[in-house]
Amino acid sequence: MGSIARQRQIFIFTALFIPVILLVCFVVFPGVDLFRISATNWDGLAADYDYIGLDNYVRMFNDENLWQSLKNNMVYFFVHLLMIPVELAFAVVLNSRLRGAKFYKTMVFMPYIINGVAISYAFSYFFSPINGAFDAILETLGLESLQRHWLSDPSIVNFVLAFVSVWRFSGYHVILFLAALQSMPQDILEAAQIDGAGTLQLFRYIQIPSIMLMVDFVLFDNIRGALQVFDIPFVITNGGPGYASSTFTLYTINAAFKFSNFGLAATMAVAIMFLIVFIYIIQNFLIHRVVLKEGRK
Amino acid sequence: MKAGKLVKSAVLQIICIAMVVIVILPILLTLFASLKTGADMVNTSPLSLPPFERVTFQNFEKVIGDKNLYTGFKNTITILAVSLVFNVAFGTITAYIIERFNFRFKGFVVSLFFLGMLIPTFVTEISRFKIISGLGLYNTLGAPIVIYVASDLMQLYIYRQFISKISVSLDESAILDGCSYWGLFVRIIFPLLKPATATVCIIKSITIINDMYIPYLYMPKTRLRTLTTYLMNYANAQQGSWQTLAAGIIIIMLPTVLLYIFFQKYILSGVVAGAVKE
Repeated sequence: MGSIARQRQIFIFTALFIPVILLVCFVVFPGVDLFRISATNWDGLAADYDYIGLDNYVRMFNDENLWQSLKNNMVYFFVHLLMIPVELAFAVVLNSRLRGAKFYKTMVFMPYIINGVAISYAFSYFFSPINGAFDAILETLGLESLQRHWLSDPSIVNFVLAFVSVWRFSGYHVILFLAALQSMPQDILEAAQIDGAGTLQLFRYIQIPSIMLMVDFVLFDNIRGALQVFDIPFVITNGGPGYASSTFTLYTINAAFKFSNFGLAATMAVAIMFLIVFIYIIQNFLIHRVVLKEGRK
Repeated sequence: MKAGKLVKSAVLQIICIAMVVIVILPILLTLFASLKTGADMVNTSPLSLPPFERVTFQNFEKVIGDKNLYTGFKNTITILAVSLVFNVAFGTITAYIIERFNFRFKGFVVSLFFLGMLIPTFVTEISRFKIISGLGLYNTLGAPIVIYVASDLMQLYIYRQFISKISVSLDESAILDGCSYWGLFVRIIFPLLKPATATVCIIKSITIINDMYIPYLYMPKTRLRTLTTYLMNYANAQQGSWQTLAAGIIIIMLPTVLLYIFFQKYILSGVVAGAVKE
């Protein structure tokens, strides 16, 4: 028996050795190392650098362009937040016996698997001021007066980009909600229907409470996603004009790889981590202490 | 009552069709553009195909004739194949051990993996960059491979969910029959995980083929372009020539769309399993 226990130990050790080493070297260590780098003035190349305490943090808080970028992130956050009821409604519809539901399900998720860079270029073309398709659509509808410089007007560019983001990611949430609805026991639904509950009542009293956990996840995904918006503005506008469509992550990445200020960039990366954890805790509190408790009363 | 139901389903159909139009439109209009000549880009509406006799495939011919496209294709396939092999090997064994065994430091190892999932993407490259270049992996295919193998951990969830459904008595009887632990894993557990492995491979393929940032950051060399970074470069070179870029966009979109069409069931179930982490 002793030899089996020993064999077991050797098996566990040899099996986990490489995966754990990889995880520590390429994920956990870099994540932790961000904290150390944030206290330096490292430029990303030099072998020597100085520890400058909290200077980067002071600089970060005084960086107007960063605040502007964070404000832009909020646009993505709110637009996606407003989409959650729509996504839920789509999930409910696709869960019903609607004819063609299977085809619609395929279509709603398609944007999520499409190459993000390719579709970003497609949208640059779509919203282009010269022969752009969107302007052409407005023209067909007789709405020329609404035509704008969709990607270069600072007051609307973030909404246009957030729309692209919704186009890409909403289907993911619909599929998640749909899965949550489908995992719900059918007999409860049927019993309620027999008792005369209408669609809205079913939705409000049976479907919503049972998918609250998924709503929780989607909300968190929304926050994490909104804070980390990167490739859409990176490809379509590169944060421009000026910093009008920059985002927190885009600004951070540029600080490091464009302006060689790794210390400051690491500080912003730390801030992103804190923001995500902080919002997660608040949201958890709100959903579990406030919303679900109220539901029990 | 019946009429009300009819109206309701008609309204729902209209809403769903509107959704399909919104999904299809940017792709369809890109396809239209890719079939036009430079002159027709100006002369015809972006919302319509060119007149039938002027439909042209020269934009596609131009992209397909580009040697760099093949380089991109080859690099993407290489990165994909190697990453998948290691992801599956490490993913299955790690999930199996965490799910089935108790050992000293297990809590520590599990929390390491949990921590790994919390660390945000993109910004981690600020500190990871130094490690990758320190290992001499900068501007080699090794950089994305190492990162894809080490960092995206969704496969652990999919495998753990799957392993929890395999009966433990299988393990026990195999060991009692004198099978070694490695033998048990390789000959019995691993083959049972095939459906989960299919899901993992398909979802990872889509993520890796579509990834722009890692190859963009770590492999600026022309010879090391992937399909996605090839398109970025092509876009910069084609400025002002939408019709050729449009053809490039359509071609780069194809691989993952085809994967989706053929393996939709795996993709949808895997995406849900990867999200619901409890």
